[in-house]
Amino acid sequence: MTSGFNKTEKRKGYFWLLAIVVVFCVLGTVVFSVARKISQEMSASAIQNLSESLDLIECTIEAIFRNEADFQRLVAEEVAEAEDPQEYVRDYKRNQTMVKMSLVLSGETEGVSNMEDSFSEGELDFSSGKTVDGLPISQSYLNYMGTWAYTMKCPVEKEGRQIATLYVEYVYDFFDKSLPDGFYNQKASLYIMDAENERFVLKPKGMGQRSAGHLNLADFYRANDIQEEKLQKEVARCLESGENLLFYHDIRQANALNYMWAVNDGSIFLIGYVPVEAIQQEGRSVNQNIFIVVAVMLVAFLLCFLIYYFGQRQQEKIRKEREAERETHNKQLAEALQAAQIASNSKTMFLSNMSHDIRTPMNAVLGFTRLLAIDAENPVKVREYTKKIMASGQHLLSLINDVLDVSKIESGKVVLNFAQFTLSELVASVDAIIHPMAKAKNQKFHMEVTGVRHECLIGDETRLNQVLLNLLSNAVKYTQAGGNIWLRILGLKQRSSQYEHLRIEVEDDGFGMTPEFLETIFDAFTRAENSTTNKVQGTGLGMAITKSIVELMGGTIDVSSEVDKGSLFRVDLELRIPEDQTDKKFWEESAIARILVVDDDLEAAKNIQALMSELGIPTDTASSMEEGLRLLEKEAGENSEYHMVLLSWDVVKNQDAAAVNRLRGALPSETPVMLLAESGEEGLEETLQTENTHLLTKPFFVSAFKQKIVEIRSGSKKDVGIEMAEGSGLEGLRFLAAEDNEINAEILAEVLEIEGASCEIVENGKLAVERFEASGKDEFDAILMDVQMPVMNGYDATRAIRVLERADAKTIPIIAMTANAFVEDEKAALEAGMNAHVAKPLDVELLKKALSQHVNQKE
Amino acid sequence: MKRKSVKRVAAVLLAAGTLFLTSCGTADEENLNLIASKEEEERIVNLFSPMEKTDPDVENVARSATDLTVMMAEERLGIKVAYRTYTAEDYQDSTYDDVALDRARNNMDDIYLLNPDVIMQLAKEGELKDLSGLDSAKNLREVVKTANVVDGKLVAIPQEVVAYGLFINKDMFDKYQLELPETPEEFLECCRVFQENGIETPVGANRWWLETFVLAQAYADLYNGGNTEAEIAELNSGKRKYSDYMRPGFEFLQELIDKGYVDAKKAYVSEAIDGEGPDFLAQKTPIVMAYWGAANTETSYGAPDFNMLVIGFPSSRGQMPVMPMTGFAVGANAEHEEDAMKMLDIVVSDEALQVYTETNKVISPSKNVKVDCIPALKPLNDRIEEGVFVLGSNANMKVEQWGNTCLIVRELLNGATVDECMEMFDKLQEESLKG
Repeated sequence: MTSGFNKTEKRKGYFWLLAIVVVFCVLGTVVFSVARKISQEMSASAIQNLSESLDLIECTIEAIFRNEADFQRLVAEEVAEAEDPQEYVRDYKRNQTMVKMSLVLSGETEGVSNMEDSFSEGELDFSSGKTVDGLPISQSYLNYMGTWAYTMKCPVEKEGRQIATLYVEYVYDFFDKSLPDGFYNQKASLYIMDAENERFVLKPKGMGQRSAGHLNLADFYRANDIQEEKLQKEVARCLESGENLLFYHDIRQANALNYMWAVNDGSIFLIGYVPVEAIQQEGRSVNQNIFIVVAVMLVAFLLCFLIYYFGQRQQEKIRKEREAERETHNKQLAEALQAAQIASNSKTMFLSNMSHDIRTPMNAVLGFTRLLAIDAENPVKVREYTKKIMASGQHLLSLINDVLDVSKIESGKVVLNFAQFTLSELVASVDAIIHPMAKAKNQKFHMEVTGVRHECLIGDETRLNQVLLNLLSNAVKYTQAGGNIWLRILGLKQRSSQYEHLRIEVEDDGFGMTPEFLETIFDAFTRAENSTTNKVQGTGLGMAITKSIVELMGGTIDVSSEVDKGSLFRVDLELRIPEDQTDKKFWEESAIARILVVDDDLEAAKNIQALMSELGIPTDTASSMEEGLRLLEKEAGENSEYHMVLLSWDVVKNQDAAAVNRLRGALPSETPVMLLAESGEEGLEETLQTENTHLLTKPFFVSAFKQKIVEIRSGSKKDVGIEMAEGSGLEGLRFLAAEDNEINAEILAEVLEIEGASCEIVENGKLAVERFEASGKDEFDAILMDVQMPVMNGYDATRAIRVLERADAKTIPIIAMTANAFVEDEKAALEAGMNAHVAKPLDVELLKKALSQHVNQKE
Repeated sequence: MKRKSVKRVAAVLLAAGTLFLTSCGTADEENLNLIASKEEEERIVNLFSPMEKTDPDVENVARSATDLTVMMAEERLGIKVAYRTYTAEDYQDSTYDDVALDRARNNMDDIYLLNPDVIMQLAKEGELKDLSGLDSAKNLREVVKTANVVDGKLVAIPQEVVAYGLFINKDMFDKYQLELPETPEEFLECCRVFQENGIETPVGANRWWLETFVLAQAYADLYNGGNTEAEIAELNSGKRKYSDYMRPGFEFLQELIDKGYVDAKKAYVSEAIDGEGPDFLAQKTPIVMAYWGAANTETSYGAPDFNMLVIGFPSSRGQMPVMPMTGFAVGANAEHEEDAMKMLDIVVSDEALQVYTETNKVISPSKNVKVDCIPALKPLNDRIEEGVFVLGSNANMKVEQWGNTCLIVRELLNGATVDECMEMFDKLQEESLKG
């Protein structure tokens, strides 16, 4: 519809353009025709005008000729009457009109003249046969005065008989006085030419350019470049026949009207030219005025059109803008509708999947519970059923956690908790979870850390942990038994000195993924492969959560994978570096100024060297035990020494035990040797028995290294202590538990009893506060606190307990035990004054771990 | 709303257009006589001079320069100068000098531009006015006065000192490795080399100017030997013979003719520049003779396609410029005598001569006006500046030189022997002694 409208508009535009062009063309043609007509009429009129002027001059000259002839006849009559005609002539005084008078008596060849010399007709040329009023006129000649002249002869008759011939000479200069002082504003040229000898005999004053002179017709042709043979022939013909001739020819690069005008039957010619410019002066002026009027009209027309055009354009623009706006709205609405439809579809699909996923373990729980009731007497089956019920319950729980997490992320309620953390701890905690999982599937889990400059960083450790666990647990899940899983943390080039640029890679050589699945792997609520057909159970939300968290942290995640070859997830993150990272003092206090690293993995050794160099600790590397020994000996010889030796377990395990001893022997006893080994390596214990030899878990972290040094300095082997504490359990402990749900209370009581502990249950927070207040000193080892309870919730109760005026009110461990399992809930619990947070459903191991930490701490 | 604004604009445009068109019209003037008031009767001065031929699309510089000074006079005096001209159609026609003589004798014009011999002739006949009273006459160089004072009267004043020289195609001389000739012998040698190289007639000539060769050789010593006045006195008294001076030059010309270096027959019927000019410009002829102004005028030799130089004529004293004095003269019975005198005073004033000299790049007759010459004229100018030259005419010599020598050289061209020519000189001298 829009394009149809545009076409109509375009057509309209073309029509207007065409109309304007037509108007201009018509106007132009009319103006041109009018101008041309005027020009032609003016030209014709000018020719007419010129002809009339020339006619006038012709008549004037001819009148002079006739007067001269009349005069000559009168004189001839007088001569005839004179007693002595010769005497009469001799005495005749010359005047302005005639300059010489001669008389030749009939029958004689020589005669007399009024000048002193004699005269004969032979001096003159009357051959042309031209006459003036019947009197023969001679060809022009230069006379004794140095000017052009002509002579007319008249018979002197007496009594009807010719007795003599009277010759009278006239000069052309005489004409000058009777001719106009130029015409066409003195722009016209005029010469008088003798037709017979073609000499120019007079150039009247004011006629044409003063400085230009012409000798004869040939010179006139040459000087004015009139070389056309045809034209010259036509001129010759006119001269011959005594006809007038007008023709156009350029004179000095300007178009001119040339003329040859016969006078006295062609005995002499008026010859010259008038520039067309001079002729058409009036015409040009009229044309100029017409052009001005037309130009003004055109400008006005154009102006009107422009005003109209711009008005239309403005309106069109506004209309288009509105249309575009409407279109954008429509598009947005359509997109929103589409998105809503997709979301709706996805959610329908998701719900369908969820329904299936939830029903499956639920079905198992209910089914096995029914079987449990039937086979209650058979302990073997009971154990088997409870084990399966437990597994199904766990799966249900993880399903619910993921769904809740996704809905939270989607609704934008997730807030990152930035705090300082060390990479080593993060890696250690991940390792603690993944290592056993991998081991259970007989997989190898490798960890590499390279190029990381700062281990202590600021970020949300919990979420980061979640990301790593999601990726790694997936890797374990989707890798066949005996496969490999790698976790690499790479320090990339920093883009800002304030941020550490990290790349976390999780790679496996497992089942891999199809390209189609890769396309939607990070989408929530959509799964390429319907979970009902998936062999491995999962919510399919883990990756969506992971991506959301990474993006929330300002990072990126991408994946590459090939079926049956494995997958590689790559997370790029920038984490802020805390301001006080350098602690030279620590190294000075620890008296460590020089380190030797012995590792056959050169890259790992270089990494350690780089990290330590940044801290200002010179570090040497050796790739084998022998090289390490050589360096030690050399340094000892030069009276310098290493204050620490980092020895890779990979170097040691291929050697005999004596190797470590040899190394130990080469060192002063107070210099520690740190064995770098991955957790769970076999044969470590034996080597660790060597004097001043300690274990540092790979990968190498400066923070972990420092921690280890502190431990060595303090002389305690804390890891052993922790092991011992962890192993101690809950036996003999007494708890106060606030739990409003009877079933949960019962389960708790039962579990603790199984673990050898005792527990007193109260129904709400208020009662818990009162009970604790009434309790004796050390009556309870810890308080287990539900959060959502009637009367008083767990947070308020905790705060109330902490403000009690009892010595142990501030110190007694309070553990939150709640179905509010989010990070925010944990944070709220800690803020309320609780010591730890254990999510429901109750995981006895986690509870034990939390209790052991805080109860031991208390001790 | 839109229509309203369009209408408003249209109304404004209409009003503006009307106003514009009205303003174009002229207001009626209260004047019953429609003829523009006639100017007062013009004061005319007739000037007779040779006709400079015009070429299509080429400006006539020589004439323009005179025009500028004439216009100056017209403006100052409120007169109108009418140009009367004459040029012979061919050698059979009356010469300009003949016509000038006739016109002056018949008082046809007021001012005449005359050649030295005509000046002499008319002055002796008393047909020319004494110009020594003009203010501009006081600025004249001595050499100009020497040439134009007849019987104690200054009868003519030129606008330029005309100097004749040899116009040389330097490229052709270089091509044949020829030095520019100083003496007659060297000149003949150059001609020989040119002829040997296929240039049959190395010297282009006309019926007017071959006399310059003769005059240069005849009077090189007289004018540059330090004894000028005494020698002229001896010539005037008959103690020395003109023919003795003239003979070497005539014999030289005879040799040029005999060896074919000059085409005598062609020269005899050729007008100045018309005859020899085209061949010289086409580089067929390496040598011609002409006056100074020809080097500045496009209608003559002002724009050659080659490297042109103007040098003096060969003589015993080296390259010798020949300077005949042309000039403006006022007819003794001129119709408009007063205006003519005033006009002449203006056109030869320092101010007018400055304009003239700058336009034509010539040597000014006024000692107060000096202009740099074009490079081609430098060799000739250097000699003149050194004071080395021969006068083509001298009023102190009783036998007129410029016209007579020209006529007698023409006789030589027409086949007369050198001896016959010398006899003609002797005859002239005899007549002068009688007078």
